[in-house]
Amino acid sequence: MAFEGIRRIVVAGGSLAGYSAVSELLAADYAGELLWVTGEKQGSYSKPALSKEFIQGKSEYSELFLPEIPDARGNLRVLRDARLSALDAAARTVQLEDGRSVEFDGLVICTGAVARMPAITRGMAGVLGLRTLEDAQAIKAELVGKPRIAILGGGLIGCELAASMRSFGLEITLIEGAPTLLGRTFGAVLGEYVLDMHQRNGVNVMTGATIEELVARDGRVAAARLSDRSVIETDLVLVGAGSVPATGWLEGSGLKLADGVVCDATLASSHAGIYAAGDVARWHNPFYDTQMRVEHWTSASAQGRAAARNLLRSFPGATEAPVPFADIPYFWSDQYGLKLQMVGRHDGHDRVEMHETADRALPLLTFHKQDQLVAAAGVNASRAVMRYRKQIEDDAKSRQRVAEPC
Amino acid sequence: MKIIVNRQSCDGNGVCMGIAPEVFDVDDDLYLHVAEPIPEDGEIRARVRQAVTSCPILALKLVEG
Ligand SMILES: Cc1cc2nc3c(=O)[nH]c(=O)nc-3n(C[C@H](O)[C@H](O)[C@H](O)COP(=O)(O)OP(=O)(O)OC[C@H]3O[C@@H](n4cnc5c(N)ncnc54)[C@H](O)[C@@H]3O)c2cc1C
Ligand code: SF4
Repeated sequence: MAFEGIRRIVVAGGSLAGYSAVSELLAADYAGELLWVTGEKQGSYSKPALSKEFIQGKSEYSELFLPEIPDARGNLRVLRDARLSALDAAARTVQLEDGRSVEFDGLVICTGAVARMPAITRGMAGVLGLRTLEDAQAIKAELVGKPRIAILGGGLIGCELAASMRSFGLEITLIEGAPTLLGRTFGAVLGEYVLDMHQRNGVNVMTGATIEELVARDGRVAAARLSDRSVIETDLVLVGAGSVPATGWLEGSGLKLADGVVCDATLASSHAGIYAAGDVARWHNPFYDTQMRVEHWTSASAQGRAAARNLLRSFPGATEAPVPFADIPYFWSDQYGLKLQMVGRHDGHDRVEMHETADRALPLLTFHKQDQLVAAAGVNASRAVMRYRKQIEDDAKSRQRVAEPC
Repeated sequence: MKIIVNRQSCDGNGVCMGIAPEVFDVDDDLYLHVAEPIPEDGEIRARVRQAVTSCPILALKLVEG
């Protein structure tokens, strides 16, 4: 396919969504220049492994990196350790942090998200968040002194960090405002299960509590004062307070933003030639007929590829039209040697069904909304969970067919 | 068409199985079984290709032919 007049595509972001977009563009017969601004010191790496195998010391640094992308035509230019500081969506130019300005015909925005650091946690030594490899290395370096650790937030990062740190026998206090752990992600029933699992494994879990204040001694955190007035002595505070989309560099670009880059069902932004993928993208998911932003590893890969394909298909001279990206979200977490998995979206469900599993101690449940299967979750039950995923997808497809006017 | 599984990295999350259950099956010990030979059916093969590129840890490799 000759893309007349298409000279340069820029991919912003060097994690999985960007990596997948670049892979797809190089595999397609796009022959123009491909400029990949990664923002990474080194190559693309596995983020899920950071809070699991890497922190636990089960996988080596070198095993974290994704394979190099084959560039047979030699049209890929990678800018490492470089970031974009601005976009002019109408003029189709991006600005690099060093001030250089680059024109483009196509742009795929894959700048992901950054860890949310609440105001009380900022600027104090001994308080760390986790989003990047550098963050994980900083946490690892702290562990040699066998610190007492307070973890702020019982979401995915907080729970995985707690489980990983317990594998070293460290003293952990996990502080969560909600009544269960990981409840928002996995629902109340599994939330209870996860809470119990952490308690059984010796984590001091404080639910319904928040950190009011961090107290420093000799320039480093020494204690956390909680909302119930109790005080936890600590040597290290790890923050798992969620993440926010990395759209700061897009302020004033003209692009429509609302907790992420707002996209249609094909992952196209408000401006022609500009697409988004991964944690940064808020797109219209046809399977749910609603706007959503999904912070899951598999979505980043599928969206990166879909956005790249659709960008090429949006150019004049393309033989096919862009295709909507429909997805059943999938998410997993590894804790204490168990694999927790969730497919679909459980928000708004009106019924939960529990199912028998081979190992009775391990839960498997499905979520229903007006008699429709909307989500499923289980522990060490890949086979069952993935069957449900197929079922949710098949149901959604048949609903779409019914909705489509013939 | 042949599938090579990197046993070191495959963690049995079953994403591949969700996409092409005819070919991929993860058992209760989270071990992935691949049913070979892969059916000639074009629609199944297209999903096998999709499964290979959807594996979250890139543990699958496809050898065409
Ligand atoms: C510790 C941890 C554990 C996780 N575990 C799981 C899990 O078990 N299962 C699961 O499904 N998901 C998990 N996730 C979520 C998953 O990793 C994310 O959904 C995924 O990384 C999103 O990929 P992304 O490419 O959209 O963005 P990100 O991974 O956030 O990457 C953003 C990229 O953009 C670059 N960038 C940012 N700003 C700029 C700029 N201005 N210019 C140029 N480049 C820029 C950054 O350098 C980075 O390369 C985990 C995340 C973390 C942090
Ligand atoms: S998707 Fe990848 S990691 Fe998961 S079971 Fe299949 S091959 Fe293994």
